[in-house]
Amino acid sequence: MMKRHLILEDGTIFQGLGFGSPATTFGEIIFHTAMTGYQEIITDPIYDGQMIVFAMPVIGAGGIHAEAYESVKPTISGMIVHDLAEVSVNRQRRMNLDRFLKQHNIPGLYQVDTRQLIRHLRETGPQKATIVDYADEHAVDQLVATVLTNKQVQNTATPKPYANPGRGRHIVVIDFGLKHGILRMLGDYDANVSVLPYTTSVEEVLTLDPDGIILSTGPGDPRTLPESVLTLIRVLQSKVPMLGIGLGHELFALANGAELKPLPSEHHGMNHPIQEIISRQIFYAMQGQGYAVDGETINRKKLFVTYRDLVDGAVQGLRHREFPAFSVQFFPDAAPGPLEATAVFADFFETVEDYVEHYN
Amino acid sequence: MANKEVLDNASLQRALTRITYEIIERNKGGQDLVLVGIKTRGEFLAHRIASRLEQLEEVKIPVMAIDITNFRDDVLNHDDSLGLNDEERTNIADKNIVLIDDVLFTGRTIRAALDALIHIGRPKTISLAVLVDRGHRELPIRADFVGKNIPTAQNEKIKVFVQEIDGRDAVEIVH
Repeated sequence: MMKRHLILEDGTIFQGLGFGSPATTFGEIIFHTAMTGYQEIITDPIYDGQMIVFAMPVIGAGGIHAEAYESVKPTISGMIVHDLAEVSVNRQRRMNLDRFLKQHNIPGLYQVDTRQLIRHLRETGPQKATIVDYADEHAVDQLVATVLTNKQVQNTATPKPYANPGRGRHIVVIDFGLKHGILRMLGDYDANVSVLPYTTSVEEVLTLDPDGIILSTGPGDPRTLPESVLTLIRVLQSKVPMLGIGLGHELFALANGAELKPLPSEHHGMNHPIQEIISRQIFYAMQGQGYAVDGETINRKKLFVTYRDLVDGAVQGLRHREFPAFSVQFFPDAAPGPLEATAVFADFFETVEDYVEHYN
Repeated sequence: MANKEVLDNASLQRALTRITYEIIERNKGGQDLVLVGIKTRGEFLAHRIASRLEQLEEVKIPVMAIDITNFRDDVLNHDDSLGLNDEERTNIADKNIVLIDDVLFTGRTIRAALDALIHIGRPKTISLAVLVDRGHRELPIRADFVGKNIPTAQNEKIKVFVQEIDGRDAVEIVH
């Protein structure tokens, strides 16, 4: 394996060995503390264009499984690990991580001192980074000159509507860069799913006569999306039961007048205890967020906080006071992550049933 | 035959949580709200919903428990007593009452509870929350908030267990 380098925007350089694609890559570097589920993480569209450092010291032992994709094509810009397991324990043995990254033209770096790197990133926060063969001045200049895209949602969300048919309730998913876990969960309820682009108009959504609406997860800063998305949410939330997840939660908050703030320490992992305020129950779920809803800006006449992160108090869930509309910042689809939070989907479907019975 | 569990501990908690959210949605923040639990198990459910409301809204919602025995249509010579002392008798006049019971079946218990409530005062509104709606109504009564609809046969029995007196939370169908 060839010696390669990771250069951060602040000038810090780490050495490692290359795997996956031999290309030069640029992206925002973040770290992930999940100990399982690397395949789901690297294929999750929420990490579009980002470079992920794994805190888990050995990555790759699970190979690549057909059932663990969160998108058809991974779009991360790089993967940095301490130790790369070259022998996969995946009994199918169809694919290993190195080959997978090569196929998708994603560079990886291993034999990196990830403890040092993560300690550094905890202090600086996410920043631009590049993986290159030679850490010379030219490479540093290139990195500084590179402007990263803020069009991640456009890169990952569907441009055209499509269906995932079922025989149950009709659920419209507004796609901001949907992960497969959400469709899998909807499949568990035999939902008849229509996935629509986020540019769809209110009329087009209502013409489909949905029983419920899901605002999907997605990458990037929701404030870069057009105002029409917020209008769409404001109208739909008053008509049909709604569940926002991840980016969908952030948009639900924005649509109802709350503001976002960047987290001093981003949450990417599944080790934060989260409390459901109403029942005081504590559980764990996968999180992937660089922003959180600013609790101070929530209009208590419109919304109330339903879940909080017990590590830093960050808002993890909201509910509308007047409409059957609610949202969660964490990922209840458990792909990967603990199964404890999947009840959010049960809540959603019970709300849908209740609404259909009372108002139709 | 073995009992069939239709709601376990976790789903019973979630049902109460959802009912609480819906009460907030339809009562615009819980002003003038009084929860009335029908004894025995409705009382405990009312207290649980009240503590949930308190967690969320940081307000204390009055809870009252009523014993409707004397208002039943199969009890003769009733003496109109609700088994409440003055302290327990929350003033219900012009309040939004949410009547809470464990199981909605024929609707006769609810009719008795409505009579009992109107006997004490004139509420602004009365709505009904039940943990389980099992169907087979004999009166024109329906619930506004339902934890779980459980279609049943007439001869089946629904048994609700609550932590406070039964030591566990569950709903079972007894054949």
